[in-house]
Amino acid sequence: MSVLLRLANIHAGYGQSVVLDGLSLEIRPSEVVCLLGANGAGKTTTTRVASGLLAPWDGEISFDGVSIRDVPAHRRVALGVCLAPEGRQVFPDLTVKDNLLLGSYTPHARAIRKRSLDEVYSLFPKLSERSRQKAGLMSGGEQQMLAIGRALMGHPRLLMLDEPSLGLGPKIVFDVFAAVAKTAESGISILIVEQNAEAALSVSHRGYVLGNGRIAAAGTSAELRGSALVQEAFLGKKTSRSGKAAGNGDGSLSTLS
Amino acid sequence: MDLIVQLLIDSVLLGGLYALMSIGLSLGFGVTRIINFAHGEFVMFGAYGAFWLLALYGVDPLLSLPLLVVAGYLAGWVLFKATIEKVLNAPHLNQILLTFGIALALEHVAVVLWTGDVRSASPAYAVATFVFGDVFVVQGRLIAFAVAVLLVAGLLCWLTWAENGRAVRAIAQNRDAATLMGIDPARMYALSFAINSGLGVASGAIVSFLFNITPFMGFPVLLKAIAVVILGGLGSIPGTVAGGFILAFAETAIAYYVPDGAGWTEGIAFALIVAILIVRPRGIAGQSLA
Amino acid sequence: MNLSAASWVLAGAAATGVAAFGSPLAADINFRICGLVIVAVSWNLMAGAGLISLGHSAFWGLGAYVAILSANRLGIPLAWSLIPAMLCGAAIAAALALITGRLRGIYFAISTLAMSEGLRVVAVMLPAVTGGSTGLYLDTRLAAGNRLINLGAAGGAVAAALIAWALTRSRYHFALRAMRDNETAAQMLGIEPIRFRVGIMALCGAMASYAGGLGVWHNGYLDPGVAFDLQTTIDAQIAPILGGIYSLPGPAIGAVATVGLGELTRLLLGKYTGASLLVFGILLVVVILALPKGIYSIIRRDGPRRRVRAADPVGDGVRP
Repeated sequence: MSVLLRLANIHAGYGQSVVLDGLSLEIRPSEVVCLLGANGAGKTTTTRVASGLLAPWDGEISFDGVSIRDVPAHRRVALGVCLAPEGRQVFPDLTVKDNLLLGSYTPHARAIRKRSLDEVYSLFPKLSERSRQKAGLMSGGEQQMLAIGRALMGHPRLLMLDEPSLGLGPKIVFDVFAAVAKTAESGISILIVEQNAEAALSVSHRGYVLGNGRIAAAGTSAELRGSALVQEAFLGKKTSRSGKAAGNGDGSLSTLS
Repeated sequence: MDLIVQLLIDSVLLGGLYALMSIGLSLGFGVTRIINFAHGEFVMFGAYGAFWLLALYGVDPLLSLPLLVVAGYLAGWVLFKATIEKVLNAPHLNQILLTFGIALALEHVAVVLWTGDVRSASPAYAVATFVFGDVFVVQGRLIAFAVAVLLVAGLLCWLTWAENGRAVRAIAQNRDAATLMGIDPARMYALSFAINSGLGVASGAIVSFLFNITPFMGFPVLLKAIAVVILGGLGSIPGTVAGGFILAFAETAIAYYVPDGAGWTEGIAFALIVAILIVRPRGIAGQSLA
Repeated sequence: MNLSAASWVLAGAAATGVAAFGSPLAADINFRICGLVIVAVSWNLMAGAGLISLGHSAFWGLGAYVAILSANRLGIPLAWSLIPAMLCGAAIAAALALITGRLRGIYFAISTLAMSEGLRVVAVMLPAVTGGSTGLYLDTRLAAGNRLINLGAAGGAVAAALIAWALTRSRYHFALRAMRDNETAAQMLGIEPIRFRVGIMALCGAMASYAGGLGVWHNGYLDPGVAFDLQTTIDAQIAPILGGIYSLPGPAIGAVATVGLGELTRLLLGKYTGASLLVFGILLVVVILALPKGIYSIIRRDGPRRRVRAADPVGDGVRP
């Protein structure tokens, strides 16, 4: 089966601080994959490397079989890699519509802009209502929808979502992930990077667990949901093993006794 | 009473010019976060360009304007790529001193080429005057105002509706997010700098038939532009436009009502800068700063 | 005594010696170098605290005016007239520090630019006080001997270097360094930036005003153009940058290089007006792009040589 995005043995970090220490993962066409990780695990570092905002020290990145490691971030968008970044990062002083129009800046996205806009508006009706409002004035949930919609305007083949549930209440999280599931129906691949394992696993085919700077576990959603590691670290359940697992705040996972 | 009307009219006409003169600086700063201390020198070269084209070839400044703007735009692009691009991520000190050095060099290129003699370019319409009742309107100033309004409006429309205009605003608000849209930051920086210089040259061309031209005119222009931009709030284009009118009003009022006022106008920009920094550093519409 | 200290003593002795015994030409060049050392040290200290001055001529010119007015109006002789000059310089510098308060460095830079222009306009527009554009001549009855003036400059240069050295040894050193690198963090360490800003500004303003006061005694004439000359501002920046910003020897090395370069351009290009400042402008650009750490970085052993890029922090950069 062909691979859409491959990260192989990525080493990356900031200054003296090593965050990713040999990370490898792949995403195939038309699948939804989640990357679970605790605070500080390196989730955002991963999306920054994949999108090109951060250059890794070592490792390979390829898209559709072609290396994109030397492709600058703004060119990866044209290849079909679109990221809705951590913290939404909408353009606060621009209207919702302007934000969406910006999402389709690249020529190939611009060509089908009208159609993309209609699709995004039908996926997120709230955005249509608020199209003339300044993005900075919207609620967290609305901004998240805008961020996703904006990424979709880029006509991606791979959509990456960085912590879409961050700071949102359960109802909104449900709405957002329902929209994500709907988007997946169109056949684009989606990478969801999340702390909220419950929500992420509910829409994913399979997933990875990020710990200590690399993949600590991988499997289908069902497998991960059933695994002791995930249950303890993310789902807060005690298992037959004594003690609980917890994130250590530095991206590593360990069991406590 | 008539004096007030005259004062207002003169302020508005001058304000338009000041807005044009400052808007490029504001855009450049909003996008690159670098204050271009060489801004005044582009205005100066624009003035000289218009002057020489008129003096040597008889070309009216309004006709040479488009040509000069394009030349200024291209020159700005080249200058940016050659020098300023290299200090985009450097400490403030490097950025400030680099553009300051460029300003110094450009000013003295003009001195070497054309000496410090004062010139002026005066096509016939520059000095003709309309009279309405007791109010005088100098035709040259009216024309300058019209051109300025046209260019400023043009820029605002471009920023609001054009693809790259929107992109430039995006880069100014969030560089990383803009990059994720497929916008090339390096190109946008160069573009905004080039627009800065193009508009600067345009204001110079207009100034050429209003005021005297010397190689040293760049520096007072820079100071006024900075005062306008700070008054309006760093990073806000509409604020800059408003600031232009306010500075123009302050200068005109002082010139009218204070004895010897015309001599003091040069110092008003300074006084305004100090006043704003004391009272409300963020200006009219700028972002909060610390 | 180690090599570094020895070279300082030698330099100081040379400056003083030439001032006291040198030929008029040598003494004149020495005067200019010493004057520039004072101004350059003053600029360098401010830059070291994160305060970039684009209008150093303001302090120089103010000092010059206060000195000449003290002499002409109040009959105060050389040495004493420098005191009000320094006080005024310190006062206006402190005022500037208070006005710009906690604002970012760019606002400070802009303010210095505005201030030098503002003072120039004031000088032009108040002829009753300053003689306006026609300028003032120093009252010839008070003219001090050249030797004395030159020694004042040499002494000032030595004093400036000593003050800079003393600051690096003092507990203020870290405070000022912290302010430069990250003012917010410095505040969290309990350092009050405002107090330090005002303090360092007052000191540096006084230094530059001292140089201006000496300058007017040396020239015997002053007008707004001379007082607030762009060349003074440029020299104040180029000397430390060329020599090695933030370092101790930088301003001194740079002062020598700058005066030397000034003489060279005057000899070669003197007949083209404006050529000298053109050269300096280009030099500033080139140094920032190619040699941001200055000459001093070439002289001293700085570890493995690597290609310095324009984006590098000038001086010694940020070290843990």
